[in-house]
Amino acid sequence: MTESKPGQVALTRPCVKCRAQEATLDSRSQPVCKDCFIKFISTKFIKQIDILGKKTRPAPGPSSTSSSSGPPTLTRRYLLGLSFGVSSTVLLHLLSENLESQLAKGRTAPFDLTVVHVDTSSFPSREGTDPEASVAAVEAILDRYRARYPRFTFQRVPLSSSTLSNNNNNNNNSTPNPSDDIFSLLSSSTTTTPPTAASQSDLRQHLTRRTLLAETAHHNCQALLLGHSTTALAELTLAEAAKGRGFALPWLVGDGPAPPPDSSSEPRESGLLIHHPLREALRKELVTYAGLVTDPSPLTDLLLEQTNDNPGSAEGTTRVVSHRDLSIEDVMTRYFAEVEESYPSVVANVARTAGKLVRRGGDGGDEEAATACELCGMPRDEDGDVRWKGELGIQDNGEEEGDRESVAARLRGRLCYGCERSVGG
Amino acid sequence: MARALCANCKAERAVIKRPKNHAKLCKVCFIQVFEDEVHHTITSSKLFYPGEKVAIGASGGKDSTVLASVLKTLNERHGYGLDLVLLSIDEGIKGYRDDSLDTVKRNAVQYNMPLKIVGYDELYGWTMDQVVETIGKKGNCTYCGVFRRQALDRGAKMLGIKHVVTGHNADDVAETVLMNLLRGDLARLSRSTSIVTGDSRSEVKRSKPLKYSYEKEIVLYAHHKKLDYFSTECIYSPEAFRGSARALVKQLERVRPTAILDIVRSGEDVARLVPGEEPSSCACSGQKGAAGLVDDDVGGCGSQNGRTPGGEMAAMDKQLRDNEASEGLEIDVVKTMVEGNAARGEKRDLPIRAGNTSKGAPRQVLGNCKRCGYMSSQEICQACMLLEGLNKNRAKIQI
Ligand SMILES: [Zn+2]
Ligand SMILES: [Zn+2]
Ligand SMILES: [Zn+2]
Ligand SMILES: [Zn+2]
Repeated sequence: MTESKPGQVALTRPCVKCRAQEATLDSRSQPVCKDCFIKFISTKFIKQIDILGKKTRPAPGPSSTSSSSGPPTLTRRYLLGLSFGVSSTVLLHLLSENLESQLAKGRTAPFDLTVVHVDTSSFPSREGTDPEASVAAVEAILDRYRARYPRFTFQRVPLSSSTLSNNNNNNNNSTPNPSDDIFSLLSSSTTTTPPTAASQSDLRQHLTRRTLLAETAHHNCQALLLGHSTTALAELTLAEAAKGRGFALPWLVGDGPAPPPDSSSEPRESGLLIHHPLREALRKELVTYAGLVTDPSPLTDLLLEQTNDNPGSAEGTTRVVSHRDLSIEDVMTRYFAEVEESYPSVVANVARTAGKLVRRGGDGGDEEAATACELCGMPRDEDGDVRWKGELGIQDNGEEEGDRESVAARLRGRLCYGCERSVGG
Repeated sequence: MARALCANCKAERAVIKRPKNHAKLCKVCFIQVFEDEVHHTITSSKLFYPGEKVAIGASGGKDSTVLASVLKTLNERHGYGLDLVLLSIDEGIKGYRDDSLDTVKRNAVQYNMPLKIVGYDELYGWTMDQVVETIGKKGNCTYCGVFRRQALDRGAKMLGIKHVVTGHNADDVAETVLMNLLRGDLARLSRSTSIVTGDSRSEVKRSKPLKYSYEKEIVLYAHHKKLDYFSTECIYSPEAFRGSARALVKQLERVRPTAILDIVRSGEDVARLVPGEEPSSCACSGQKGAAGLVDDDVGGCGSQNGRTPGGEMAAMDKQLRDNEASEGLEIDVVKTMVEGNAARGEKRDLPIRAGNTSKGAPRQVLGNCKRCGYMSSQEICQACMLLEGLNKNRAKIQI
């Protein structure tokens, strides 16, 4: 990537934005220079982070110090979910840039950031893997991030039943946490028929999201930031639809309040927010961006050792595997890689359309709050469940075998349609 | 594995692994279960009333042939008391419908059902061959598609029948759901998922009793019942969005067979989340505003003859890009206005997402075509508009 110097030399293909530099890149079918492209991405980011900033405005100083309840929130507090993929790494970088530029101007830090990587390497537990070695591997990657972004704290959180049950034990009643069941199911080597790759991937993804939300609350953060690009949100929309989770789509794809915890727990004083500050950038643009950042060192250095079960990464598009090993997410990633190439605005439109859907089943509306699914935490669509069973004439058939059947039976009526599907096979 | 017994009767050897849930069944039990499920759909959705006259949209293809066979069986078995008629459309393309219409004619004999074949010439005064003669090969698919959309309804009206059933299956519905998510068309998505379309305002009600039946099981049913059907249904390739969605559904099904029904379920749920739709999950109230516009036609020739593959998607992509460009301007204007106000010290809430409130999912206002009475969002429906053009042309030629 060689840039010609701005100057008197006639440009062969001038950047359409600045007209001063040679265009070396294509941005939304316009030739642009490197600087303008970087600005383009950071503008999209800043627009979104400003929207979030207005929603999370810290309470004015003097009055909040007098109130005794809770820690004073003079600075916004965000938690970033870091998958080690391109998108969340770029988001981290942009957040860091944003912070540094504010500090350089002598202003106070606009936010505090905690970065959490949810370690899914033991979900499900694979035979022949050394748990200690994989923890060390993750920590090694995190150390590289820590070295590069010393102002932020980084934490590895394992995906396990304990991290999940910690967050919904407000009123610890007698019903066992369903995630215990799920973990025993998925980690049991005696399971007669292990869940399919599609089901594992679905459960892993939703439990990861729930863990991140639990961590957000645990760290007293106001918002969970996720690195989803436009493309990732479009994939998410169609993947969740394909897994029967259409009812939860607005909660999953939109920006705004997290789904309320199940109705049995205390009403939350201030709802957590989930935001996707890169929602207006395509995945391929983030990949390009990552390749352009060289200060203090190439951003791509961080991305060298990516884990393969990383739904946010652009990887997985080239692997050739049997369809039995594929997840619904894999299918969508491949599909949208093609659509993004030729019809980027169609991709953007999918995400935008899903954002228009009405959130139902949450609190604060005119309706009663729905009960939350005990596994994924999304509102359950009980009306829809009743009608669906009616229309299809579903009797609970004892077709599932062994462990899975007993788990499925124990959880019946406590899970959403999508989770029931994945637990069932 | 191959020696497994039928999971249902536990007596016969299983010869079928249901694509839907992998249950292993013998031939007799499979046919029984398939019919029972359709019966359940019919009764739980209260599709029919005793003595109702129902036209089966028959193309000679597997879906409508299975639908006719199952409805005949169930009508007799459960005493629905239905008066069933086969209704076929002849577009008037020389040679194109011969084989499929022959199949439908044989079906009429096999099922002992009256058959009515209605031609485009009867319905519109034009056969497709005549349309092509007048306007040339280019663009004639628009005509065929628009005409076909109304043909069954108009045909039924001619016969004095108020209910048309079509052979749309779960795969078709899943495909339509994904297609409309891809197109960002929430209004159409919510319309296409309901089992019944058309309300009291429309003269002809349409329903799809095979909405929850897998295409693969329909093929199996036709095979094991040795039904007589015509296997190539449409010579035209589907338009880009549908084709793309179809390929995607097939891939998803391979990864997870239940995905087809899961998409149907999501489609029904998402339909209730479309801004302005009723929150109720009752199937009947979902019909409000779903009136009559049956544009989820499948196997129709809303095709790309004379267009490049993907033309539909490319066109939409371009249009969206243009919209984005103008929206960007709009936001800039609002921003400067707000900044201006702020500079003057006026306090205003910042419209963070300028322009978005006015641009919700467009709600079509449905009425009736002034000319033919068919449900239409315009004063004159598309078919009547096209006919007007054609008839002017004809007048010119005659002069
Ligand atoms: Zn430039
Ligand atoms: Zn769930
Ligand atoms: Zn049997
Ligand atoms: Zn009309």
